[in-house]
Amino acid sequence: MNTNENAAPILRARSLRHSFGQTDALRGIDLDVQAGEVLAVMGPSGSGKSTLLHCLAGVLVPDQGSVDYSPAGRAGTAISTLAEPRRARLRLTDFGFVFQFGQLLPELSAADNVSIPLLLSGTRRQDALRRSTEMLERLGLDGLGAKLPGELSGGQAQRVAVARAMVTSPAVLFADEPTGSLDSLASENVLTLMLELVREAGTTVVMITHDARTAAYADREVIVRDGVIAAGYRVSA
Amino acid sequence: MNPGLLKLAVVGSRSAYGRLAGIAGGVAVGVCLLLLLWGGANGLSARDDRGAWLRETGSPSVAAPRTDDPTSSGPATPVPLTEDTALMEANPVEVFRDQLINRRDVAALASTTVKIPGIGTPPEPGLYFASPALQRLIESTPGDELGNRFGTFAGTIDDAALPGPDSLVVVTGATETELRQNGRAFLVSDFTTNPYGGSAPAYRTVLSVGAIALFFPVLLLISIVTSLGAAQRRERFATLRLIGASPQIVSRIAAVETAIPSLVGAALGVALAIILRPVAAQIPVNGTRLFAADMTIGWAATTAVVAVMVAATALVAARRTAAAGVGPLGATRAVHEKTPTAWRSVPLLAGLATMITPVLMVRVLEVRLPWLESPLLILGFLLILVGLVVIGPWLTHLVSRVGLRHANSAAGVIAASRIHKTPMATFRSVSGLVIAVFVVSVFAGASSVFEATEAPPAQPGMLQPTSLYATLGAGAAPAQAAEAARQARELPGIPSATIGYGPAVLSDKDAGPEIYLRATDAPRLGFEDVPATATVAVDTSFLGSMQPLALTAAPAANLDDLVPVVIVLGTDGTPEAMDRARTALNVSGITAIPATSPLDLRLQSTGRLIQGLAVFAYLGMFVAIAIAGLSLAVATASAILDRKRILGLMRLMGMPVSVLRRIITREAAVPLLTVVLLSVGLGFLVAWLMVTFIDDTYQVTWPATDYFAALGLSLLLALGAVITPFTLVRAKTAVTATRFE
Repeated sequence: MNTNENAAPILRARSLRHSFGQTDALRGIDLDVQAGEVLAVMGPSGSGKSTLLHCLAGVLVPDQGSVDYSPAGRAGTAISTLAEPRRARLRLTDFGFVFQFGQLLPELSAADNVSIPLLLSGTRRQDALRRSTEMLERLGLDGLGAKLPGELSGGQAQRVAVARAMVTSPAVLFADEPTGSLDSLASENVLTLMLELVREAGTTVVMITHDARTAAYADREVIVRDGVIAAGYRVSA
Repeated sequence: MNPGLLKLAVVGSRSAYGRLAGIAGGVAVGVCLLLLLWGGANGLSARDDRGAWLRETGSPSVAAPRTDDPTSSGPATPVPLTEDTALMEANPVEVFRDQLINRRDVAALASTTVKIPGIGTPPEPGLYFASPALQRLIESTPGDELGNRFGTFAGTIDDAALPGPDSLVVVTGATETELRQNGRAFLVSDFTTNPYGGSAPAYRTVLSVGAIALFFPVLLLISIVTSLGAAQRRERFATLRLIGASPQIVSRIAAVETAIPSLVGAALGVALAIILRPVAAQIPVNGTRLFAADMTIGWAATTAVVAVMVAATALVAARRTAAAGVGPLGATRAVHEKTPTAWRSVPLLAGLATMITPVLMVRVLEVRLPWLESPLLILGFLLILVGLVVIGPWLTHLVSRVGLRHANSAAGVIAASRIHKTPMATFRSVSGLVIAVFVVSVFAGASSVFEATEAPPAQPGMLQPTSLYATLGAGAAPAQAAEAARQARELPGIPSATIGYGPAVLSDKDAGPEIYLRATDAPRLGFEDVPATATVAVDTSFLGSMQPLALTAAPAANLDDLVPVVIVLGTDGTPEAMDRARTALNVSGITAIPATSPLDLRLQSTGRLIQGLAVFAYLGMFVAIAIAGLSLAVATASAILDRKRILGLMRLMGMPVSVLRRIITREAAVPLLTVVLLSVGLGFLVAWLMVTFIDDTYQVTWPATDYFAALGLSLLLALGAVITPFTLVRAKTAVTATRFE
């Protein structure tokens, strides 16, 4: 684990509150995420974990409270005060995302899917495809770059999603039930490869999961219940 | 079917209600347009039937000597007027302002049994019957500009004998002697009820092609509207399959859930058509509006349209659902389209071959098979329409392959990939506009025949466009001509009246090849280089020439020894002065032909068939483009709704909304631009084939600026149709609208 608990956290959330209509999804959450840390967020359905992830990643602006992002060597940014175009830019350059399913563009090949964040950042297509192919190879998907998502297995598709999330070398990877749609073998395979990659790159991970076995891969675990953090503890010494 | 199951499948969310409302709205517009088009076709047919009697050409009023009988020789002899015949003459250039008045001069015996449609017994000499629109015009215009031409008002022509409420028709009474004088009158005993005469098959072919051309975009609109929100629907159906519904039950639910909003939409469409019918009747076609009553189609036909529409949409929905292969885990065949191949060009090529065949038969091989020609033309046109829709995905696929290879941006890669993998779905969005451009090009090409005939320009050596001339009859004495010229010059706006002379009047066999003028009069006719003699001459073709002619010196000619053969009035070019001059010449009693201006050429030089086509063209353009724009907007919105989850995910990952907009725009632009040039080319080819089939003397030329305006409007509309749903991109792909887990 590469965390330095004395350093300023890469993500700091304070007094986060967010509601959807009459439903309070977050009811005052304080959370620090250290750089290089793999954090698992657990909790029952409807507890507010996805909303927390969306607020941390600048996808949602909390009704109250703040989220500060402080990458190493750069000035900190109060994400929750940025306008959507700047948050979108930040998500593109500094964050990566992996979801449970349905995240690949069905008409694009695996390599093209992976290359999209690079193209959005202004990389030339040839270079983007070269880096995509390298990333796919690192995730054990050699020779599958030309395949469409519909032609891949669930585990392979999820590894393509991980490749896409990691191809821009993000500072933080947000994963929402990344193995929720996979069997245990595929799940283990995806997680192992993903964590190898993030630890090698020093990427911070915020991972939402229901599954205790998945959470066991994390450095630290917090449990969210009814919009507040009910418990938090270190998984590994 | 269990109503509970149906309710579960159909309702339950705002987006489901929105989709149902979208289907109902689209079908309402489609049904309304169909009923109005049908009503319009009925109205045009009724209008042509009402005006059929104006086509009556009768029989010659003189009998030529028999060529096979050596004892029968000499001049033609008049055929005597009897109780059951009337002498009738059609005035080809009765013009007021820029409108052609349909004038018939009639002479009959007092005891005549001939009945003129809309009038009854022919008017006595000096009296006239006018259509209500013309009579209003006469009453609101000074008599020396219009009314004096006709005599005394005797009554109005009944609507039953008028093409439309704005028709300008006049029937004037004349004496037998007056009408026999210039030999243009003919004898009639009854009046034809065939509005098109010998060109009926060609006219019907043109009408059928026009109806198909407008009907096809309506069908495309309805087809596109019924596929609104197909992806969301497939998700709901997948849920039903998961809990045990068979594919047949799911197909039936799809049929019923489409049929219900279709029925509501069709009922709305009927109501809209009834409300809009009087408004549609106000659109002038070929110079007159339609009688609103002529545009009704009856309840049986209306019910049939509604029933067919509802049944068709239900059937299409059921078939689409079955074809999508919705299983318990979702649709299996939604994304993977079969790669289109060159076979898709077959219907288009077959259509072209089918259309070319009758033209080759008639114009090259000179074989006439009337029972086969029109059906082949119509079938060919239909095949080309279908062929364009069928070949579109193949061409789009080919272009997208090249585009994908060269794409260098996220928007380019995503759009090109989607087009490449789903060319049919992407082309379907723009198919309406492609068809509209084709239809507009056909209409524009066909109507260019009419537009090619333009007024001659004003230039030296040519009769000035602002002047009017009339050749004189045999009995016109020099003093009478001089008096007519003097009187005309006294009228406001008529600065000159010039008399031309010759050895005999121009209709006489002894007429000379030239018209003689006083040299001092020549500049008034527009000549600049005038020979230095008292008398000059110009070729008689000067009166109708489209080319400048030169004057020649005629020192030996003595005008006192010649007779007046033509009188030319120069005007200041104002419409009032032109009509005053026309009226002055026509009532002078010395002219052999009605007063004519070079500008009249525009009004009378082409047949009414082509004139009608030109007006249909602009109506067709409007309807086709409007429908196509609506279809594209619906299809674009549908494409956004169907992919809102994946597009929302791209936004979440940091893709700016502007990139999503560029993706949507490219997905519409690539298939549209790929096929639009083909549409334009085919449109003009089809126009040329149709016009050549009708008459090979007609020339299809470069279209008027209106066409380019219509084409530009189509592309602007396409842009608008794509941009309008952009608000959906932001709203439907917002992270608050979609959950990602």
